[in-house]
Amino acid sequence: MARVKYLILLVLGALALATVAAGAASETGVTSTQVTIGGTTPLSGPASAYQSVAKGAAAYFRYVNAKGGVNKRKINYIYKDDAYDPSKTVDATRELVSQDKVFAIFNSLGTDQNLATRAYLNALKVPQLFVASGATTFGNDYKKYPYTIGYQPNYRAEGTIYGRYVVKHAPKARIGVLYQNDDYGKDLLAGLQRGLGAKAGLVKSKQSYNVDDPDVQSQIAKLKAAKVNTLMVFATPKFAIQAYVYARKLSWKPLVYMNAVSSAANIMGLSTAATNKKQTEGTISIVFLKDPTDPAWRNNSGMKLYRSIMKKYKGGNPNDVYAVYGMSVAHTFVAALQKAGKNPTRARIVKAADSLNVTNDPFLLPGISVKTSATDHFPLDQAKLQRYHDGHWVAFGGLFRVR
Amino acid sequence: MAMFSTFIAWSLVNHGFSYWAAFVLTVAISFAGGVAVERAVIRPVERAPVLTVVIVTLGLFFVVNGAARWIWSPETRSLPNAFSTRPITVAGVAFSISDLGTIAVSLAAVALLWAFFRFTKLGLASRAAAVNPDASRLVGVRVTWMLALGWGLAAAMGAVSGMLTAPALASFDQNLMQPVLLYAFAGAVLGGIDSPLGAVVGSLLLGVLINLIGTYVNWVGTDLRLPVALAVILGVLLVRPAGLFGRPMETRV
Amino acid sequence: MRSRAPGIAVWLLVAAVVLLAYLFAPRFISDFHSRELAGAGVFFIAIVGLNLLTGYTGQISLGHGALMAVGGYTTAALAVHEHWRDVWTIPLAGVAAGIVGFLIGLPALRLSGLYLALATFAFAIAIPSLLKKFSGLTGGSQGLRLLEDAPLQVTGLSGTVTIFGHTMTQNHFLYYLTWGIGLLGFLIAWLLVRGRVGRTFRAVRDSEVAAASVGINLAWTKTLAFALSGVYAGVAGSLLAIQVEIVNPLSFTFLLSILILVGVVVGGLGSLGGMILGALFVQYLPDLSTHVSTAEGAPDFIFGAAIIVVMLLLPTGVGGFLRRLARPLTTRLYLRP
Repeated sequence: MARVKYLILLVLGALALATVAAGAASETGVTSTQVTIGGTTPLSGPASAYQSVAKGAAAYFRYVNAKGGVNKRKINYIYKDDAYDPSKTVDATRELVSQDKVFAIFNSLGTDQNLATRAYLNALKVPQLFVASGATTFGNDYKKYPYTIGYQPNYRAEGTIYGRYVVKHAPKARIGVLYQNDDYGKDLLAGLQRGLGAKAGLVKSKQSYNVDDPDVQSQIAKLKAAKVNTLMVFATPKFAIQAYVYARKLSWKPLVYMNAVSSAANIMGLSTAATNKKQTEGTISIVFLKDPTDPAWRNNSGMKLYRSIMKKYKGGNPNDVYAVYGMSVAHTFVAALQKAGKNPTRARIVKAADSLNVTNDPFLLPGISVKTSATDHFPLDQAKLQRYHDGHWVAFGGLFRVR
Repeated sequence: MAMFSTFIAWSLVNHGFSYWAAFVLTVAISFAGGVAVERAVIRPVERAPVLTVVIVTLGLFFVVNGAARWIWSPETRSLPNAFSTRPITVAGVAFSISDLGTIAVSLAAVALLWAFFRFTKLGLASRAAAVNPDASRLVGVRVTWMLALGWGLAAAMGAVSGMLTAPALASFDQNLMQPVLLYAFAGAVLGGIDSPLGAVVGSLLLGVLINLIGTYVNWVGTDLRLPVALAVILGVLLVRPAGLFGRPMETRV
Repeated sequence: MRSRAPGIAVWLLVAAVVLLAYLFAPRFISDFHSRELAGAGVFFIAIVGLNLLTGYTGQISLGHGALMAVGGYTTAALAVHEHWRDVWTIPLAGVAAGIVGFLIGLPALRLSGLYLALATFAFAIAIPSLLKKFSGLTGGSQGLRLLEDAPLQVTGLSGTVTIFGHTMTQNHFLYYLTWGIGLLGFLIAWLLVRGRVGRTFRAVRDSEVAAASVGINLAWTKTLAFALSGVYAGVAGSLLAIQVEIVNPLSFTFLLSILILVGVVVGGLGSLGGMILGALFVQYLPDLSTHVSTAEGAPDFIFGAAIIVVMLLLPTGVGGFLRRLARPLTTRLYLRP
């Protein structure tokens, strides 16, 4: 009798253990062999050039999977098209959460797009990790939205750097601003004004444009008419190039501060080709990624790794700096997933994302680390200033905090 | 289609053709493409209701757009400028050489087109087919081929437009023609849809108007340029429904 | 009168089948698909409305996406700024869009064909800029988010909805709400079309001169058609806002207007029956295209090719085709030897 009892207890105990173990591995999106994550990207529409952010990340994950994955799990990264339309972002994100049952939303692109899904994801306690947007709110509002975190240096901080630099080195400048009429442009502008502080009066003219305008000729004309000698270009690549072209047409050569989004070397190359070397000479920007077209990184091991992954895992055009961004954010996700342990749960990965300390990212500038803490929800907040000289960017000064 | 032609031109230039060689070749390819599209896709629905044809062209819009993104990736590119971008001042107004060049080429293209319709036999046949298809058939005009010709010419002009717009806007991608599209449509309607002179004048007028309003009326600024321009067009149309130079249509009861 | 009885019987049967399908469909499909069907329902309502204008009255409008925007933003603004319960805003959204539709209809009195198409197209293109400019009301380029900022939502975050004692999931509720209104709207349109209003519309479509010469007031008819189709578009926009819980200028571009028109023509101009298929076409085809290929640009290519193929094969739309098929059947039903 006693033996039967023991047997029953044993079986029950084993069953209990099995259910506990199954329960432990049954976090949504996580199986014993795979972790499924998803995000939205503009594969079509006006912002489709940014899709390399997703493609670069996807290539990196394939590379990691080929090496065995993270804690024996492969990463299954699904990205859906939202055509940069926030209502499609909502739909696609809901599909990812309720149909594809992803573990986390990762690397969704766009400020308005991520704002549209933030409340929903946080209410359902689905992590919204490493949002591809520089809007400050993603790092500031973590008390209200603890499941959300951004990645890139935020726009407001970037504008602040430019403001502070002008105050320090050109306190008599006459500043003009060309900015996109949405949160991205307005954030940069707000940062500039914050950085200028008491000298906000140096801004003599602010001209906005809509992303569906054909050109910014009249905006540039007005900026010149305001006798501006320092031009802040807070615009996406298409319009950034036009800023140079139309300025040249008016025989105007202000000192240009180019926002990071449009400072990629291939874009600067197009600007220079459309005008001349003098027009783009001296442009200032910030940088935090290694630019794949910068000859300084030609023999760099990180960039070599990048190129080999792009080639082998079909990441797209290797000269596209957005793909480098994608790999960097994927690298950070892998670090966070590693930190979440052998049995990752949503709560654990959020905790990991809030306590990052990654110093070996091969795609970021040397010396930049990815750090977060309970009070610091900005993973990347360091950058260098760089100046465009003779056809390429030259970093100068030290690394500084973009806060 | 204009955008697609621009990409073809870019590919040609990329493969080593000079700008003008690529230009001519692209115009020729686009003409052939336009004719092909008409025969393949428009011809079968000739007799269908007008809206069916409209929807087919909308379908074409998606097809060509999708194809352009399939064949060429969505990164920003540029087409070299045929003319230098050196600024020059004409009568106190700042231009660049490329602006003047663009204007010259556009006018030349329009003039050529006008001359074709006015002075050649084929042009005459084409106009006849548009005005009275039945009578034209009776005198031996191959009406259906005239339609194809029309599409070919439209595609060729579109190609010219695209190849001039891309350098003017300094960069291009698959969304190149979208903002231009509405302004072009509006300019044509403003000037009168059946008058080439009207098209030129209407578009010029529209462009000047938009920029003037945008610059001097602060409430409008640059945000509301588009709606205001459209409101103006609407106003003109209400007063003169056929546009500035169009021939008013009279219906016989 | 006896010869009409079988005809009526057939219609009643069809109506019963449709009603049953509507009521019980969610049992057989996944929760998520209920949501997608609700999306198709939104298109359905807008398409029925546009059909009244374009199919029955012959007036082209490329601006119905903008009318949906009016409806959607009315709902969002009332929910967010005035704290209305979202579903109660639906009638008001319809009325607002109906008024705007009427205003758009005014130029129609002087313009026709191409010029009218341009005028409505212009409205569709201008709307996003206008929405962004008046940001106090519309939330500018960020738009309005009902989920965060509207306190009284029937849907909201809870995931379930309780109506008249029945509890159901959010997606099921959206499905029932949208298609319930859709079927009601369809019925109203059907009755209108069969009655005097419909005949007046068709008269104007077929020949304005003839219609005027028998005493039909062209101005009144055209503006009524515009206003009516505007109401439908407004309601559709409102339901869209409730479903997606966000309105944003980028959701109401001219592409939306194009999609609605495609839905009407594919469904069959002047034929209400095909409208359901038109709505399903416009809702599901873009999605299906991505399943065929996710290569860059391929889904658009496939979608466009599908539109062209359907139009080449069925120039009068699915509705026209079905009507031709059914003609021998209905003729026999109505004409007794």
